[in-house]
Amino acid sequence: MRHRLLGAALAVVAALATASVLSAHHSVAGQFDESKSVTLKGVISKVDWVNPHIYLYIDVKTDGEMVTWSLGTVPTAMARRAGLTKESISGKVGEVVTIDCIPARDGTKHLGWVNTITYADGHKIELSRR
Amino acid sequence: MRHTIRRTLTAAVIVSALAAPASLGAQQAAPRGTADLLTKLSAKPTPHLNGKPDFNGTWDHLGGIEFVRPEKLADGSICLRGCAPAAPRPAAPAAAAPRPAQANPPQAMFPKYKAEFLAKVKDLSARQVETDNVLKCLAPGLPRLGPPGKIVQNSKEVVFLYDDVNGAFFRIIPVDGRTTYRKDMPASFLGDSIGHFEGDTLVVETTNFNEDTWLTDNGAFHTAGLKVVERLRRVGDTIEYTATSHDPAVLVEPWASKPYTMWITSQELEEPARCEDRDLEHIVDGSHHDNPR
Repeated sequence: MRHRLLGAALAVVAALATASVLSAHHSVAGQFDESKSVTLKGVISKVDWVNPHIYLYIDVKTDGEMVTWSLGTVPTAMARRAGLTKESISGKVGEVVTIDCIPARDGTKHLGWVNTITYADGHKIELSRR
Repeated sequence: MRHTIRRTLTAAVIVSALAAPASLGAQQAAPRGTADLLTKLSAKPTPHLNGKPDFNGTWDHLGGIEFVRPEKLADGSICLRGCAPAAPRPAAPAAAAPRPAQANPPQAMFPKYKAEFLAKVKDLSARQVETDNVLKCLAPGLPRLGPPGKIVQNSKEVVFLYDDVNGAFFRIIPVDGRTTYRKDMPASFLGDSIGHFEGDTLVVETTNFNEDTWLTDNGAFHTAGLKVVERLRRVGDTIEYTATSHDPAVLVEPWASKPYTMWITSQELEEPARCEDRDLEHIVDGSHHDNPR
């Protein structure tokens, strides 16, 4: 039993050890304003599992209106190495999450870069540290 | 599938992802890419196939994201770069202050260009967000693509497979003794290759590149006359990988890019998520990651 558990753990950890190559990509600081932060509370309505950056969308009620923010984050290979999936980032259907992000520098509204997602049960996913 | 995640992992903290090569077995593992692991793997017998070193296998080399050190806490929280408190941040720059573009490429790990081409390199580098096709999800070319993630080999050819962030790529490399390249092939991102063996080393010489790729970051352009020579030496269950770029029309001397040690892994390649840039139109200056290879 012990060996089976160890084997399972190793299998999981090995599965996390992705090796996709990262070529150069643009700087977060070139697009997002690291001197500011925005806290959003709402429901993640979609996660686009794409490279070079995963994008997720969160519906936030602002002044009585529902606004959808587009939020970029890390490449899929980085997320996978941390054991994250599209599903684990999405959270449960209808789950209210809190996202700490930084806004776009070019003035585009409702565009940001994710630092941390906090889920309803209190667990967090820290994707970036600013 | 590499990213298959089971919820059976009960360890409170994952300090680093581990490699568990099939040949090591489930009882033995060390952090990915550590000297200990590589020493053990390189001490194993070097396998051969038809009298040649056998490169068949899936190979890990950290893939440029070795700085990702995922940590998982007991409550299920996950931090990509560790959950320890962050070091104090320096004072934030003025919000609207543009960052200078990387106008001066770093000299370490950078090709030496002839004097008459330095201005071009500088200009391409300063405008990398506009001029670097890698940022537009095109193929990185050689040697920027780095080592293959999987190698399939028989007596006549060796196939390199890649699961790159920009896409899935392949190269078919004949090792049947031919010395002439295909004549009916258009110039391409990954060129046309011929391989041969020198002892336990596979030597791959590639030409017929288009001019849409760079050798590395920061404006390291090349001409259609580029020739890249890769050397892969199998040592036990590791491969020592080097690549040297020859482009005498613009370079002072051949340029050896970052060497890698690859090690065998039981993780299979998978089709990478599609590359679809959504960011470039929002970049307000020329800043970009440096990721020399």
